[in-house]
Amino acid sequence: MSLLEFDEVDKYFGETHVLKDVDLDVEEGEVCVIIGPSGSGKSTLLRCANRLEEIQDGEIRLEGQSISAADADINRLRQRIGMVFQSFNLFPHKTARENVTLAPTKVKGLKKGDAERRADELLDRVGLGAQSNSYPNQLSGGQQQRVAIARALAMDPHVMLFDEVTSALDPELVGEVLDVMHDLAEEGMTMLVVTHEMGFAREVGDRIVLMADGKVVEDSPPEVFFENPKTDRGKQFLSKLL
Amino acid sequence: MAESYSEGRTGDGEYQEQFLNDTTLRRLGAAVAGLFTLGVGGFIAAIIFTQVDFELLVEIIHPQFVNAFLRVLGIVLVGSLLSVTAGVFVGLGRVSNTKFTNTVATAYVEFFRGTPLLFQLLVIYVGIPAFWPPGQFPISNWAIPTAIIGLTLNHAAYVGEAVRGGIDAVPEGQMEAARSLGMSYVQGMREVVLPQAWRNALAAIGNDQVILVKDTSLLTVIAIPELISAFRNVNSTTFDPWTPIILVAIAYLMITIPLGKIVNHLEARADWGGDRR
Ligand SMILES: Nc1ncnc2c1ncn2[C@@H]1O[C@H](COP(=O)(O)OP(=O)(O)OP(=O)(O)O)[C@@H](O)[C@H]1O
Ligand SMILES: [Mg+2]
Repeated sequence: MSLLEFDEVDKYFGETHVLKDVDLDVEEGEVCVIIGPSGSGKSTLLRCANRLEEIQDGEIRLEGQSISAADADINRLRQRIGMVFQSFNLFPHKTARENVTLAPTKVKGLKKGDAERRADELLDRVGLGAQSNSYPNQLSGGQQQRVAIARALAMDPHVMLFDEVTSALDPELVGEVLDVMHDLAEEGMTMLVVTHEMGFAREVGDRIVLMADGKVVEDSPPEVFFENPKTDRGKQFLSKLL
Repeated sequence: MAESYSEGRTGDGEYQEQFLNDTTLRRLGAAVAGLFTLGVGGFIAAIIFTQVDFELLVEIIHPQFVNAFLRVLGIVLVGSLLSVTAGVFVGLGRVSNTKFTNTVATAYVEFFRGTPLLFQLLVIYVGIPAFWPPGQFPISNWAIPTAIIGLTLNHAAYVGEAVRGGIDAVPEGQMEAARSLGMSYVQGMREVVLPQAWRNALAAIGNDQVILVKDTSLLTVIAIPELISAFRNVNSTTFDPWTPIILVAIAYLMITIPLGKIVNHLEARADWGGDRR
């Protein structure tokens, strides 16, 4: 049993068939990088993994439990799936620390003091120990995204989903966010990462999954994918990068 | 950059708009404001010195106007509290994905915004007691409950629309972030969306509550001794218009001006790190 399993998943937006029979197993501790052209369904795949989108056929399982079943206890399952968004989506009316403590106190019933201690630890870990009382609009994009990562980590997720988390950042701020993700991967976090940062994909990824037209068209280790892709679609994609 | 830009636009820098440049606009504005102040100030002074009967003023302030004022204030406080509370739920109904809830909330708003408050007051005031045999209606002073129910139902519709607008202006990613952390819809609404929606809606809600204050003038038709009826009482017995008019104006402003201050204060408090947007 893999940690996160997509089993013949089909997703439609109205008539548009966006995910076509997608099979993908993510193992514990693995960093699975998803790449592919715009509109190929990468974000949709990630959003289905914590049921921000419903699927129409197939099944998605976390540690053997169905996420997609009609009777799934989704609020409980989502606690084990951290998600970081391209646009940060921090809560603007809460300080960095309050952003991090909100879910642990409201959802897990953690005591305020315990949650705050843990939040400060996490903010320290993403290099923002000094900013815990700042509001999101007082932080740079890179800082905001690191708070968002700390916020997701505060629920002790078993897997983290990252959807183009550096795409909205000024180039000079990309590195600090990728560094945090790099550390996280090294600590053994299971990660599903949609990104255009090929350097990161190559260095940190254990697997490169190429999507096109709603399908997984290649699934290779980075050294294979970037040196000698197995498929024509892979070769085509790489040639466009250069 | 800035320099080359302005150079490019103005050539040798000699071009000036002939009539309405920034300075003339500023002076014009000050002149109009000055004239306005003079005119209004003069008018008010003329009223006070030639029209207001101070003996009568003292006589009617207490108890008549003080009582009317306190009665209006009480109705406003209760009506505000209830209409804002109910309005939040109307707004939640308006953004509900459940078709039935949504339809009911929409119909509610259409009806209470689409018919006059005066009509709604009459429906409650004479319509409801008609369900009992004549003389059997158990509530003796039905006018005050009518006022509170009518103002609440009517203004909950407006507050509801303000709240709906406030919720719509919160990016969808906010609820998604809350849900992805394992929070329920209710928790996401309460902790994340509504505090932001509230700030977005505050100005509109404040506006509506000022209108609620002024709407109490309609209560004169259901025989509540409020400020307009106090005016009419005095005027019909003394034939003096300006003495009671001045009191009516002061009384309304004593409620609406602090109300505006409260709204400003609430807006300033919801600033969250400054530099709103
Ligand atoms: N809410 C939606 N309603 C309708 N169609 C949608 C919706 N979201 C995505 N789509 C469509 O689904 C397809 C896949 O979109 P998705 O956002 O998953 O692509 P992506 O691979 O993440 O692209 P990008 O690299 O641009 O982020 C696209 O054709 C898109 O137009
Ligand atoms: Mg995307």
